[in-house]
Amino acid sequence: MECKDYREQFTLLLTDALDQTQRSEIESHLASCTDCRTEFEAAKKVWDLMGEIPQPDPSEAMLTNFDAILSNYKEELILKKNPIGEWINKLREHWFLQAQPRLAFSLILVAFGLTLGYLLHKPGQSTISYNRQIDSLSSQVSEVKQLMVLSLLQDPSASQRIRAVSYTDEISNVNLKVIDALFTTLNEDPNVNVRLSTLEALVKLSREPRVREGLVRSIDLQDSPIMQSAIADAMVKLQEKSSVQSLQKLLSRKGLNQMVKLNIEKSIQKLI
Amino acid sequence: MLKVKNGDIDKMGLLYERYHRQLYRFIFNMTRQKELSEDMVQNIFLRMLKYPGGFMGFGEFKMWMYHIARNAVYDHFRKVKRTPSHSDLTNWEEKIEGEQFTDARLEKEQELKTLETAMEKLSDENRELLILCRFQELKYHEIAKILNTTEGAIKVRVHRAFNQLKINYLKN
Repeated sequence: MECKDYREQFTLLLTDALDQTQRSEIESHLASCTDCRTEFEAAKKVWDLMGEIPQPDPSEAMLTNFDAILSNYKEELILKKNPIGEWINKLREHWFLQAQPRLAFSLILVAFGLTLGYLLHKPGQSTISYNRQIDSLSSQVSEVKQLMVLSLLQDPSASQRIRAVSYTDEISNVNLKVIDALFTTLNEDPNVNVRLSTLEALVKLSREPRVREGLVRSIDLQDSPIMQSAIADAMVKLQEKSSVQSLQKLLSRKGLNQMVKLNIEKSIQKLI
Repeated sequence: MLKVKNGDIDKMGLLYERYHRQLYRFIFNMTRQKELSEDMVQNIFLRMLKYPGGFMGFGEFKMWMYHIARNAVYDHFRKVKRTPSHSDLTNWEEKIEGEQFTDARLEKEQELKTLETAMEKLSDENRELLILCRFQELKYHEIAKILNTTEGAIKVRVHRAFNQLKINYLKN
């Protein structure tokens, strides 16, 4: 080998990458060749000097920093694996950050409202005044209805008059004026149907003695056979014994319908 | 490393502890910037954690780490386009202990400064080879694996790089 070939191996010698035979071969050449020895000394000097260049250490913080990076990454990974968890987490964050103060505020408002309402509210008084109001309102309503009954009874249409009579059911305290009007209808209305429904309405009002008297008096005034039978039935229903005289008087009337006659006789028997 | 692939993240913490100093020195020697080097070390480890699939084909964690680190360093070089950035030069006055201002010490300081300048004058590729070989003390076959070439080629290239360094050094 020439010097040139040996010099090619200097770096390998310095890096300790030669086997034993190659190594002793190059060492024996260096011992004999001054040029190569000088050359190698120069190379070795640079090589050794390179080893003296101080190698810097990273800062201590790097270890702890990376620990933080790792734990962050771990959390990220867990969240990625569990999208629902991530969703809940986001929601929770959102809730804690935004909704909580709002919720607290609204709760305070509600509590404040309730207290204020309780303080302003005076129990008892308002219920009484409320009931009073209701009473006055309902009496006003029944007054209106009575007026309506009175006006409707003057109506030329028979069906409207029947409607007026039926309204009396809805009136709690029927006043005298209405009762008078009803009797007028019962005795004088040209339509039998109107008279019949008026009779029914009056029977419902028979708690009043005045109504009973009026009904007994009205027996004489009826000339329609239907009305005569109906009023006799009503007497039986009311167990009005004072009507027997009037009924007997009716029996003696000339031209009385045969069926009505029988009916009235039965009624008289039941009443006695 | 296989354990990291299976999701055992704590194992990456151990690997970091073991190798971060070595990696930091490699990157610092390449870039000569402290903070940048620290950031890069952490990013490289995080990248290895996120994409453990790249480990396949290296067989050894260290080789894979250097492979990724090289890519990161060259990415950085491409980004800064070799604009002369400030480099954190060694503060020799602090580093060399021992005798007070003796001639020997001053001489050594001068030599080391010259050598550092000579290193900086090398091409990135040559400097890298010498860093891996001399400072990182990797074997030729390891360097060959990192650079994806043969051991013989690396032996020749390291020798040429070292010769270039000698020339640069003796010029000054």
